[in-house]
Amino acid sequence: MILSCKDIYKSFGGIKAIDGCSFTVAEKKITGIIGPNGSGKTTMFNVISKLIKPDSGTIEFKGQDVTGLKDYELAKMGVSRTFQDVKLFQNLTIREHLQIAMSDTDEKLLSNIFRGKEGDAQKIKEVMELVGLDKPLDTYGNDLSYGQRKLLDLAIAIAKPHTLLMLDEPVAGVNPRLRDSIKDILRELNSRGESILLIEHDMNFVMDLVDHIFVMDAGKVIAEGAPEEIQNNPCVLEAYLGGSEEGTKCL
Amino acid sequence: MIISAYQTHIFILIFIYIILAVSLNLALGYTGLLNLGHVAFYGIGAYTSALLAIEGMPYLAAMIIAGLFASVFGYLLVTATDRLKGDYLAMATLGFSFVVYSLLLNLREITRGAMGIPGIPKPSILGLTVRTNDQYLIFVLLICAISVFIMYRIVKSPFGKLLEANRDNAVCLRVLGKNTFGLKYKAMMISAFFAGISGSLYAHYITFIDPTSFYISELILILTIVIVGGLASIKGSIVATAVIIYVPEILRTLDLPSSVLGPVRQALYAAILIAILMLRPRGIFGKVDLE
Amino acid sequence: MSLLAQSIINGLITGSIYALVAAGYSLIYSTNNFMHFAHGISVVAAGYMVYWLFTLAGTPFYVTCIITVILSALFGLAMYRLIYLPLQRKGASNVILLIASIGILTFFQNVIQIAFGSGVKLIGYIEVAKGITFAGITMTLLQIVILVISFIIFIMLYQFMQRTKLGRNMRAVSNNKELASIVGINHIRVSDFSFLIGSGLAGVAGILVALEQNLSPLMGTNLMIKGFTGAVIGGINYVPGSIVGSFLLGLAENLGILVLPSGYKDAIAFSMLFLFLLFKPNGILGKKEGRFDK
Repeated sequence: MILSCKDIYKSFGGIKAIDGCSFTVAEKKITGIIGPNGSGKTTMFNVISKLIKPDSGTIEFKGQDVTGLKDYELAKMGVSRTFQDVKLFQNLTIREHLQIAMSDTDEKLLSNIFRGKEGDAQKIKEVMELVGLDKPLDTYGNDLSYGQRKLLDLAIAIAKPHTLLMLDEPVAGVNPRLRDSIKDILRELNSRGESILLIEHDMNFVMDLVDHIFVMDAGKVIAEGAPEEIQNNPCVLEAYLGGSEEGTKCL
Repeated sequence: MIISAYQTHIFILIFIYIILAVSLNLALGYTGLLNLGHVAFYGIGAYTSALLAIEGMPYLAAMIIAGLFASVFGYLLVTATDRLKGDYLAMATLGFSFVVYSLLLNLREITRGAMGIPGIPKPSILGLTVRTNDQYLIFVLLICAISVFIMYRIVKSPFGKLLEANRDNAVCLRVLGKNTFGLKYKAMMISAFFAGISGSLYAHYITFIDPTSFYISELILILTIVIVGGLASIKGSIVATAVIIYVPEILRTLDLPSSVLGPVRQALYAAILIAILMLRPRGIFGKVDLE
Repeated sequence: MSLLAQSIINGLITGSIYALVAAGYSLIYSTNNFMHFAHGISVVAAGYMVYWLFTLAGTPFYVTCIITVILSALFGLAMYRLIYLPLQRKGASNVILLIASIGILTFFQNVIQIAFGSGVKLIGYIEVAKGITFAGITMTLLQIVILVISFIIFIMLYQFMQRTKLGRNMRAVSNNKELASIVGINHIRVSDFSFLIGSGLAGVAGILVALEQNLSPLMGTNLMIKGFTGAVIGGINYVPGSIVGSFLLGLAENLGILVLPSGYKDAIAFSMLFLFLLFKPNGILGKKEGRFDK
């Protein structure tokens, strides 16, 4: 068990975004969270990566209670994540993005002043090839297309030292060809022993990719299991097609 | 010396303002810290250095303590304003410079209030006293070169790239495991340190300071320089300092009475600032927008 | 006891001038959502207008006042149309607008200094020295006039905001810009009027300041900070709040110097500004959630 969340609650001004959500992520597996829009998937991601403080509940990562950590402290422990709405660093080059992701010494001011640029060129090349981002390393964030930014976001999450990779809708808004190649990248990463947690709105994308699925609706996990179990679960269809009352009964 | 006494004076000011402008650009342009309180660090540096030197402290020590003292205020300012964003942050930092100004004006036992501090000694280093303006020019050039070199190295280093990343997208930087608060306060402390150094250079050159030298008109001048030169461009700040300090000197040929010359110059700076915001908000060499 | 009462009265008089500055400022802020720091120069320009028309040119006083208020309103509109609106159309952020407005303030401050010199100017209209003493409290006739006029103006402003269509539109825009434009309110027109009315109020403030204090070109910054501080204390996007906040500021300043040296008046105000921005940026009566995450 690499990550486990227990009884997470979070409301925004009276609206319950997360309403007692619990799930676990197994090591070296691809775990998917699916659910309709507004079911609290991204909020849950933000809670896990500490961008949002939950009202209550605990989060454990690698067996340690990380509930009270700050966002960057958890990231340093080995959680990498991407964003659905990628912005990146508009005025930095691709190389600089990857250097920042890889470096763990760049925050030290004094040792940095009189040292030249660092960054493992070999490792940068590997990551670029893995995600298939075919752009000169000197291209600025500003000059990338949406799909390219998606890939760069994935690349920096992979390049950053991590033990868990969290992907927020990795294929939202990308074309079918890129969709397939992202699926291949994720399979490749998994075959290397990576633990991956991904959110996806689109059920078809996850079904033949993930090992285990959690279905979220109205801030709760309403079903879990292997993809084939989920596919035949009437509650899940309910949640997607509306009438989520039926769905919550299934828990 | 091949240049006239008056030009020497102008060049000394240019080098002092280069340090001031580049240090503001480090915070404002590179790190994205909307600091309208920079002029307060400049003032704190000038007063600290002047008062210590009058008490008999060796100049270099006084100058460095002035920088350090200013950077302590930089740390406090970042800590206090960490939750604020946008124009509220800008107003709070502007408010900070008002607070410092009114303290300089009212802590009369220390600062002599509006009467100012006269008789600030010229720098003396290892027994050599910088007496003439020509010597001061060389001294200031040296300090300016060292300061700009250090800041240049900082912004070009991996640390500097983190500062720029913080400006572009702090959330993304934090999930990459970087402590953005740590970055911000380090950047602000460096920025304030060099502002303090330039304040010290100013105080010991003019040998008289009062609170009005560290108020809104100075703020307008350095903001104009940084914005005209372009955010996140050290080259831009240097060129803009030279142009903006030097060009208004042409006004002297108009033979205006000295009581009018000052306001005309100030009005000109303000007009340049508004014009550049309207016509070319990224400045001459800038590539980043002010958000 | 009478010292305390006197301080309270002084606080109310200072507060009413701050409140006139703050009311206009906050009216403009609430509909436009950016900091019109150059509002301070509208006040000073109005003061010098009185000096020029009345003291130098000998125009009758009431005519002077009417012309001054009209010109102040147009001055504000000109700043909006010639500087702020073009900047907004180019996508300038609030910070850019703030910096531009500090630039405008400095520019006109120096223009006034060039035109009139840096020395202080006196209007000399009402016999200021003659005080009325009642129960140990001394007030001049002028101070009573200032209090009365500002109260009348605040009531008129409130009625205008509540009762007229334009006032309701302004409140609609200040509550929710998107919604207001959906229901067909032209926000540029509303902004035009907010600058006209807000700067007209600055004109009134300028006349009263000119009568009560000596005019100097550099007083705009200070007046602006005081008005702004009052607005922040009460709630910058809520006009009645900023009026209350300004009176509180006037009282705090005048009560504060009972225990501190009188030079600390400004320090009290600046510190309150800084502390409110840090800890209570919506002020005590402000309506909206803080703008921490703009």
